[in-house]
Amino acid sequence: MGNLIWHEYARLVSLTASVYTIWAAFWGILYRKYFWDFVGGIVRSPGGIQPSPNASVMIAIIVKAPVLQIFALILGLGLVAVEYPAPFLKGTVFQRSLIIKIMMLLVQSIVAILFYQGTNGGLWSMIAMGCYIRAVIKGEKMEVAKENRGRGGKA
Amino acid sequence: MGENWFRRELLTPRRLIFNILFYGLHLFFFAYGWYSQATNQKLAALNGLKWSVWTSRGAGLVLAFDGGLILIPMLRNIIRVVRPRLAWLFPADENIWFHRQVAYSMAFWAMVHTTAHYVNFFNVERTQVRPEIALDIHYTQPGGITGHFMLLIMVVMYTTAHHKIRAQCFEAFWYTHHLAFFFMIGLYTHATGCFVRDSAEPTFSRVFPFYTTDHCLGYESWRFTIWPGIIYFGERVWREIRARRATRLSKVLVHPSGAMELRVIKPSFKYVAGQWLFIQVPDVSGFQWHPFTITSAPEDPYVSVHIRQVGDWTHALGERLGAGPSVVQSLTQAALKGKEKDEASPYGTRGDFVELDPGYSARPLPAVRIDGPYGAPAEDVFKVEVAVLVGAGIGVTPFASILKHIWYRQRKGTLGSLKRVEFFWVCRDAPSFGWFQSLLQEVEAAQADPNFLRINIYLTQKIGEDMLWNIAVNDAGAEYDPLTLLRTRTMFGRPDWKSIYNRMRQAIETGQYIPGSNSQLKTKVGTYFCGPGVLAKSIKEACVANSSAHVDFTFAKEHF
Repeated sequence: MGNLIWHEYARLVSLTASVYTIWAAFWGILYRKYFWDFVGGIVRSPGGIQPSPNASVMIAIIVKAPVLQIFALILGLGLVAVEYPAPFLKGTVFQRSLIIKIMMLLVQSIVAILFYQGTNGGLWSMIAMGCYIRAVIKGEKMEVAKENRGRGGKA
Repeated sequence: MGENWFRRELLTPRRLIFNILFYGLHLFFFAYGWYSQATNQKLAALNGLKWSVWTSRGAGLVLAFDGGLILIPMLRNIIRVVRPRLAWLFPADENIWFHRQVAYSMAFWAMVHTTAHYVNFFNVERTQVRPEIALDIHYTQPGGITGHFMLLIMVVMYTTAHHKIRAQCFEAFWYTHHLAFFFMIGLYTHATGCFVRDSAEPTFSRVFPFYTTDHCLGYESWRFTIWPGIIYFGERVWREIRARRATRLSKVLVHPSGAMELRVIKPSFKYVAGQWLFIQVPDVSGFQWHPFTITSAPEDPYVSVHIRQVGDWTHALGERLGAGPSVVQSLTQAALKGKEKDEASPYGTRGDFVELDPGYSARPLPAVRIDGPYGAPAEDVFKVEVAVLVGAGIGVTPFASILKHIWYRQRKGTLGSLKRVEFFWVCRDAPSFGWFQSLLQEVEAAQADPNFLRINIYLTQKIGEDMLWNIAVNDAGAEYDPLTLLRTRTMFGRPDWKSIYNRMRQAIETGQYIPGSNSQLKTKVGTYFCGPGVLAKSIKEACVANSSAHVDFTFAKEHF
């Protein structure tokens, strides 16, 4: 596959996934639903799925109080800040370490896949994670941003 | 940036018209979609979902519109045919730009549509307006399945289309962009699940399109949006058929600068100067088509392209043709030595090209396939009175064809309204002059009127001390420029476009520039540029700044 630099590609996917997750988490706060509530749940009309008692913990942190969504929102914002990167993170270990990003994406995908709106964000986070893992396997390193490098060629 | 960006992107007249039309239509479709859903009595049950269903329907209609538009700028053959007639109406050469605008808008409205649907299905489950749960709609019904797939395909396509990724690994972009096939299938079948209906259960039928419109009340937008898809598919098939017509690689020339010239003979291939083509070498890759500018004139008995070995594909091609890096390097060395020897004779050329003889190598020349030609603004050269041709670096290739073509037309005396040609070549290093030089020499030598064609060569490289002395000693009083062996002197440093255009305008206005022309008439000066974007911007600024009542400077940029 040509000279694809995997961590640069992964960054784009990760940004997409994180922005999606932020948006999903925001809507997840407004419309709260545990994604896996159909497992053992019964459907009532009206009212929808009544989750099984086994899921009460999840219901507590997703439906009763949107703890998970708020966490996903913050994590997503954090990932965007790390990936974009925000000015204060430029050149720091958070921006330059691929492992930290893999970890953050892993947490994000686990968290996002638990609430109703977040599944796509979770799936894409996993794809981004896969790309980062591939970058690590190939031994890619983040280039140190070159200082003072204009676009050049300005006539 | 800031205000400047805002003005440039949004408020220049053409852009403003585009923005009003493009985004105006989007908003219109959104509003219409919203309204037609909200006021449809048959869909009263669905309207119980309130704003979210109105939003999703409005955004859905917008997406159908975008889905219909997205392929239109990629209908390359049709654009090539309509371009000469409709160039005044829309910038036909900005088709990729338009494709991107549609894609951006599609991403935005997909976000609106998806968000609204997440709310819709949540409420469907909660109110049980239909006896199903949200995840049924998401993951078991056609609308949900195709929707999620299209989103995933979009993620992959958009991310690999980023200019950084495209430059790193064109294949990644090229292959994933063909997911568009599945994307379009998803788009056309998105509504087959009959989500928009006035009955609790969908009404499917056994005949195409497998649902009845008695109860399925969608927009049926696929009936419209499928046509660009069918035409595009047909065009791809046609391109494939055309590419399979008899094509033979007749010669490979390696120029001392490392550029390979491929001469292809394909009788069915008709083109005009300045156009480009796609080339495929099945021995290197059976799927990849790479765009190159045609460097031969239509009058030539062959079609030639000049290829520099810069990317992975071009390297592989060089290896396959027996012109790998080592060969090219030795050629360049020989050429440089040859130059020193030749200094005694004033007319020596700087290292000739070498023809690769297939008899020597074990493998015969590979089969090639070419697809095209496709349009480029340089076709219009003969419609203006003064043509300013600006090539930067390898961007000089289209002008090889054009200059050759001008030369042929000059001999035949069919130059049209073209009175003068200013040719600028901005180039970083001396070695890359090699292959273009013989052509320029030929054209320059053929000039009867010294004022018709003026060649301006700018060397932007930093010059070392040795070279400086070399130039100083050899240049003084010599008939030919020591670097290019042309009568024209090479200039050093970057050209100052503002003053060049300013001088040109003054000369035209005082009637000195074009012999016999009246200064009262409006003179059209067309600039045709091929090269990097920064340079394009500064030239364009110079064009705009110097346009006056008598002189009309136009600017066209070629895209790769």
